[in-house]
Amino acid sequence: MGLLILYLIGVLILCVAGIIFISKLSRKQNSSTKNIKLKRRKDPYLFLLPTLILLVFMFGYPLINSFIMSFQHYNLSTPGNIYFNGFDNFKKLFSDSDIWLIIRNSFFYVIASVTGQVLLGLILALTLKKPFPFRGLYHAIVFLPWAFSAFVIGLIQRWSFNGEYGIINNLLINAGLITEKIAWLGTPGLSLLVVIIAMIWIGIPFFGIMILASMQSIPADVFEASYIDGCGPIRRFISITFPYIKPTLIVTILLRTIWIFNSFDLIVVITNGGPANYSQTLPSYMYTKAFSSYDFGLASSLGVMLIVVLIVYVTIFLKATHYNKAGDF
Amino acid sequence: MNHNIKIYFWGTGRTILLIFFFLLVVLPIYWMVITSIKTNKEIINTQEVTYFPKKITIDNYEQLFKLYNYRSMLINSLIVSTSTGLCVTILSIFGGYGLARYKFKGKDTMLLFFLVTQMIPAILVIIPLYIIFSKMGLINTRLGLFIFYLITNLPFCVITMRSFFERIPYTLEEAAHVDGCSTMSTLMRIVLPVMFPGIVAVFVFAFIGAWNELIAGTIFINTSNLWTIPVGLKSLIGKYDVKWGVLMAGGFCALLPTAIMFAFMQKYVVEGLTAGAVKE
Repeated sequence: MGLLILYLIGVLILCVAGIIFISKLSRKQNSSTKNIKLKRRKDPYLFLLPTLILLVFMFGYPLINSFIMSFQHYNLSTPGNIYFNGFDNFKKLFSDSDIWLIIRNSFFYVIASVTGQVLLGLILALTLKKPFPFRGLYHAIVFLPWAFSAFVIGLIQRWSFNGEYGIINNLLINAGLITEKIAWLGTPGLSLLVVIIAMIWIGIPFFGIMILASMQSIPADVFEASYIDGCGPIRRFISITFPYIKPTLIVTILLRTIWIFNSFDLIVVITNGGPANYSQTLPSYMYTKAFSSYDFGLASSLGVMLIVVLIVYVTIFLKATHYNKAGDF
Repeated sequence: MNHNIKIYFWGTGRTILLIFFFLLVVLPIYWMVITSIKTNKEIINTQEVTYFPKKITIDNYEQLFKLYNYRSMLINSLIVSTSTGLCVTILSIFGGYGLARYKFKGKDTMLLFFLVTQMIPAILVIIPLYIIFSKMGLINTRLGLFIFYLITNLPFCVITMRSFFERIPYTLEEAAHVDGCSTMSTLMRIVLPVMFPGIVAVFVFAFIGAWNELIAGTIFINTSNLWTIPVGLKSLIGKYDVKWGVLMAGGFCALLPTAIMFAFMQKYVVEGLTAGAVKE
């Protein structure tokens, strides 16, 4: 039954694509201009129809479901026992003693990761600005983490920060910075820090690429003028480079913040939220709630809370920038 | 004199930074590769950590393929990622073209909708989708995973494609229209060849997005012969015993295709990433 519906959707999409194709190829050139105009008006909808159908059925519809579920008792371990329970899920959520710890973790995780990524990305872009030998090759290597899987990075991080066999402890001991091995992943506070380091590492190339590109769009004569006026490098950065890259910086930071807030695969791989929820963030907690206790109702109510936070954030974002000019997020 | 010192100072500073960023990227990968060619005894040694293996072995790689069926993970990942890449590319060519070349009712709403889909945490969609998929019999199928990757990658790719289309002057198409081309054949014959960088970039985005994804994979796929690489490798992290050598070997094999892809397509990918945000 289910598969049938899916095949129907698939066939529908194919049909639409086919109709567009055939109608365009076979359009008679001598048809009246009025006719062409009418067809033209439908064109964009036809072009976008497959994408929209997919997104509405597989994104919009689940989202509404999720919202409904947040007001339901919905536990997969007791199927058949699904009923509306008002705000019970939300009450349960806030009676959880760990929830404030998790909210605090989320904010710390996002702010620390974004700050680290922006600062290091900016420094990277500034170093790459002027040409040097083997620049192309260097770019290919330094931007590589962008293409890497967070999962594999998480594995490397978890292995390097391993308390007993890890290389980080070994290096720190050899450098004389510590005398005892540190249990990075088992210590509250430190485990989240390890996740943040991995997150910063992954995000540096993205900021580097974006900032470098916007720096390269600064007209050269502005810099020439500054040289003639005897401007130093720091002054040049504050008065020329920074104002030029500011719009890119704002858009990138705002969008990246949301992305970091939402992503939790690093957490799952490196610490799995531990020890005792000390490295848990809201989305990772939601994942744990949904797929270890199968309490979909509670998880959905957590999701609704996430949405509220994000809506506030997005409203500020839309006010601050023209959203349809922001091609990258 | 003073000037020379300054130049020297900034030059050295820059060289140090270049080396720093280089090592920052290379060292973790070096450590992964080195771990993967060590013997298990050398890896789990509390007394000393060797920076280079005393004895080089390919045991871990052999185990990976023989014991843990890495081949099937690789094939599953390839199937899902390639089909995601292809479908996203085709759909975003259509969608991007529609958004770039026409003014129509509801365009702004549509763009907002696309943007919003990017801001919603994936886990919020995964949970209800899990129920929907299990009703439709799509749990434990590559098709289900493919659908999920399709919808998560599509909005971003459509918007990227749109900004690529907007860079091509409309006069190029107008000329084709005057010469008697239909919209579709203009798209096929004139626009797409010029659009090659954009198409490559979008394909790479979607492919890498699907290749690297872990969470949805672990939720939607339970049977081991359908596992993708991240899901399969995650199952190797046991509660008490973690096979680090095998994991590092598997991780390295998982990075290779995306790294090679990125190295060759880097120019296009960078162009794709910056296509929208840089231009005002």
